[in-house]
Parts: sequence; C-alpha cells; structure tokens
Amino acid sequence: MRFSYFLAEAFGSMRRNWVMAMAAVITVFISTAILGAVLVTRDNLNQGATNLKNRVMIEVFIRDNSSPAQVSALQHKIDVLKSQGQVKGYTYISKEQALAIFRKRFGERIVANLPINPLPASYQIQVQNTDNVDKVAAQFFNDPTVDNDPGTHNGVKYAKETVRKMLGTISLIEKGMWVVTIIFAAAAVLLISTTVRLSIFARRREVEIMRLVGATNWFIRWPFVFEGFITGLFGAILAGVFVWVGNWGIANWIKSTQIDFLSLRVYRLWWQGGTWPLGLLPTLALLGALLGAVGSLVALRRHLKT
Amino acid sequence: MIVFEDVTKVYDPDVVGLEDFTCHIGKGEFVFLVGPSGSGKSTLIKLVLKELRPDTGRILVAGRNLGTLRNSKVPLLRRNIGCVFQDFKLLPNKTVYDNVAYALEVVGEPRRSIRRKVPEILSLVGLAEKTNSLPHEISGGEQQRVSVARAFVNHPPLLLADEPTGNIDPETAVGIMQLLVRINRTGTTVVIATHDRDMVNRMRRRVLQLEAGRLVRDERRGSYDQVTEEVGDAF
Ligand SMILES: Nc1ncnc2c1ncn2[C@@H]1O[C@H](COP(=O)(O)OP(=O)(O)OP(=O)(O)O)[C@@H](O)[C@H]1O
Ligand SMILES: [Mg+2]
Repeated sequence: MRFSYFLAEAFGSMRRNWVMAMAAVITVFISTAILGAVLVTRDNLNQGATNLKNRVMIEVFIRDNSSPAQVSALQHKIDVLKSQGQVKGYTYISKEQALAIFRKRFGERIVANLPINPLPASYQIQVQNTDNVDKVAAQFFNDPTVDNDPGTHNGVKYAKETVRKMLGTISLIEKGMWVVTIIFAAAAVLLISTTVRLSIFARRREVEIMRLVGATNWFIRWPFVFEGFITGLFGAILAGVFVWVGNWGIANWIKSTQIDFLSLRVYRLWWQGGTWPLGLLPTLALLGALLGAVGSLVALRRHLKT
Repeated sequence: MIVFEDVTKVYDPDVVGLEDFTCHIGKGEFVFLVGPSGSGKSTLIKLVLKELRPDTGRILVAGRNLGTLRNSKVPLLRRNIGCVFQDFKLLPNKTVYDNVAYALEVVGEPRRSIRRKVPEILSLVGLAEKTNSLPHEISGGEQQRVSVARAFVNHPPLLLADEPTGNIDPETAVGIMQLLVRINRTGTTVVIATHDRDMVNRMRRRVLQLEAGRLVRDERRGSYDQVTEEVGDAF
C-alpha cells in the first residue's frame, strides 16, 4: 500500500472539495460532541449513584440509660449481621463524638448554651446491599436498647423511599443514556456516510475513469477511507476539547456556588485508567476516526460493484 | 490477441451496437477500424475492455475468456490494455502530469521511474509545456494527446485507440500515427478506430469495416473506402 500517495490524494481532494470536507467535519463534531456529553453525564451519574449508595446507612440511636452490657449486646447483634454478609461495616459514635459533629456543623454558640448533652450515642451501619435496607433496619425496631419513642421506630433512621427511588431513577437514566449513545452512534455513521456518498456521487465519473484505466477497488477506496478517517479525527478532536472545556467549566461553576454535595467530576482529558483507560479526547478521536473510515466504506460499497 | 466469436451487443431499448461479429486479431497486428458514425466501433472497444458485456457470443483477450473472467481480475486486464478514449476520460482534478502518472500509480510503479517516464512520454506527444495544467485549461487536441500519453506510458501489450487523431491538426496527427507505428514495432498489438481517410489510405494496413454493427469488410492491406471493381474502373 502506498501510504503517502493515498494520504496526498486524500488531502488533495479535501482541499478541492473543502466545503464538503467542512460539512463532514461539522457533522462529526456535532455527533461526537453529543456522544461525549453523554459519556461525561453518565460518568457523573455513576459517581452520584455511588455517593448516594454510600449514604444509604442505618443509624441506630442508643437509649441514654442503657447499660454497657446492653450496648455490647447490640454491637454483637450487628456483628452477627456482618458475619452473615448483610452489613458491610459500622462505626460507633459516642455521645461526645456526636456533640463534636454537631458543634462542627452548627457552631459553638448553640452548643455552649446547652446544659447537658442531649445527643444520643449511635451506631452507623452500612448495609451490604442497598435493596436490603428495610430488612436490616427492621432488626432493630423492637430492640429495647434502641432509643425509640413509645410505639414508633424513630430510633432507627435509614434512607427511605426517596433515596431508593432516586437510585432507581439514576439507573433508569443510565439505561436511557445507553440507548441515546447507540442511537447517536448510528446517526453519526449515517450522516458521515451520506456526506461521503454525496462527495462520491459528485465524483462518480472520476471513479469510473479510475476503474477504466485499471485501478483496483482498493486503490480507489483508500484515499476515500483516509479522507473519512482524517475528517472524523479532526471533528472528534474538536468535539473532545469542546466537551471537556464545558465539563470543566460547569464543574468549576458548581464548586463556586458551594452546592458541593453536587460535586461534578471532570472527565480526564487524556488518560483515566481502569477498564476503559483512555480519557475523553483519545476516546472521541478514536471513535470519530473509526466512524469516518467506516462511513466512507459504507458509502463506497454501492459505487464499487463491478 | 483478440478473438470475437458471433458477438452481439444490443443497447437497452433496441439499438444494435454490434451484431454477429466475428474476427481474430493476432498478436502484433496493426488494425484500423472504420465505418460511419454509429456503426459500432466504440462498442467493440468497450467490449474488449469489459466495460460492456456482450448479449451473446464469446470474447477472448490475450487468451482469457472475458465471459468467465472474475470481476477481481478486470483491473489486471485493463492494466494490460492501453486505451485512448473517444471522450478522453481525463481525471478533471488532476494535472496533465498526474493524469499520465495515474496509469503508472495503479500498477505500483516506483516513484522514481514515474518521474522519469511521464516527462518522457509528454514531450513525445508535444505536451512538455503543459505538464502542470488541468484538463479544462488545455485545448481538445491537447486533452486527446494526454489521453494518448496515458495509454502509452505503460507500454501495454495491447493498445486500443478510439479516434486518437480526431481533434488534432494534421502535423501532430502524423506524429501520433508514427508513435503508434513505433509502438507496434516493439510487438504491441494496435487497434485504431478512426474516420481519418488519408491516414488509413496512406498506411495500407489491415482494415475492418463496420456497417450498422456488422462486419462488412476485412482487408489485409485495405483503404478507408470499399473499392469495388466497378468503382475502381470508374476512376
Ligand atoms: N450507452 C448506449 N446506450 C444506447 N445506445 C448506445 C449506447 N452507446 C452507443 N449506442 C448506440 O450504439 C450504436 C453504436 O455506437 P458506437 O458508439 O459503437 O458507434 P461508433 O462507431 O463508435 O460511432 P462514432 O464513429 O460516432 O464514434 C449507435 O447507434 C449508438 O447510438
Ligand atoms: Mg465511437
């Protein structure tokens, strides 16, 4: 394969048909930018879901007048649940620790005026499987050591419906995002192949002549494939930078407004490690180049039947 | 080199291109194809290139049956046939140089030998000055010569020329003909479709005359017009 010749052919043709080339670049830019936005959003939703899941914990408050034996019996009960694999871990928060946390959150002045420490000691329990929160929490409903008001279970606090519904919604949105991703990938291939097909249609006489002087199908194809590849690469790199800057800007803006529980993650530009190690830019560039090349091949298929 | 056996080609509605055409053209021959406009000369050339397929009959080129030739082998067939097209068929976005070079690029000729061969053939057809012009920037006759140069540059074993001197002044036309003869001397089979009466009469080569798609004359040392006894007497 004469790489330099085909590359020169591709660049020459793009220079001559620069309007078409621009249209193709814009097409790739739009489709891959949408794909990139989907990627970043999904990444953040994932992050959000993980955060929420970590927050699904059960707080069990201990009656102030419990004896140390009762408290250790309660702890033993949690240990048993842990050994059964229902509980991931737990921490004990003493009355003093609870007050310290309270002080940190609401300020010294309120605490200073308190005659006694009204905050109960507690266990914070992380469950293994968020779907089992109810079952695990129910274990403590009727425990005498737990600080329930008579006739209620308000000594056991845990994420109720809302959080779990939110998790459900997130997983639904995630699935939706997958569908959107696939649809846009297909749309991108279609748009690119239409663009290439238009440019090939405009040059079908040229292709015909090439065949008459003995060019093989691949000899004719390569410049077009390179053209699609370059176009895709270029549009996708633009899109990658665009999406990343957008992601970074919004994340910074959210940080500055100090709604920090909504902390947005900035997708890594080059490299992120993990199962898909490439960052935003290489991912989109690869995708765009591939879409471009495949789009060209698809568009050429019809024109190169003998 | 070329064998036609009972070949018939009818174009779509009901136009006869070639009818019951049979002929043998041997290796190294020099053949003129004559006949009025629409008699089937270009059709014959297109059939040899497998640009068209016959409706009936058999065509062999260099011993290969075009009817059973696989599509993937067609480029190879065409690389071994130089063809000067009636409508030139130049690539509109390529310079004169690149158009000629294209025939060498497709066969994978090394860059260095392309740089040597292309200027050589261009000066041979008198186009040394137009190397970097685009086809639409040169005259019809010049375009025709580019087409000639592209067909020759490979030194193919078979050369088909559809009116190679049609748009060219008589002096250049003679030059082109001499070039064709020279090429023929090196063993290349040459088939020329032409309306150039003077040229055919001067050269006295084999003449195939077509009339509405039929072969009406095959003369070893023929002239452009059919010379019957009576007409000959009348002169
Ligand atoms: N693509 C086509 N579709 C339909 N009819 C065609 C086509 N090409 C040629 N013909 C017809 O076939 C007949 C032979 O055409 P051909 O081009 O072979 O003639 P020719 O001998 O080359 O003529 P000329 O000397 O004018 O070039 C003509 O009647 C022409 O109109
Ligand atoms: Mg013709």
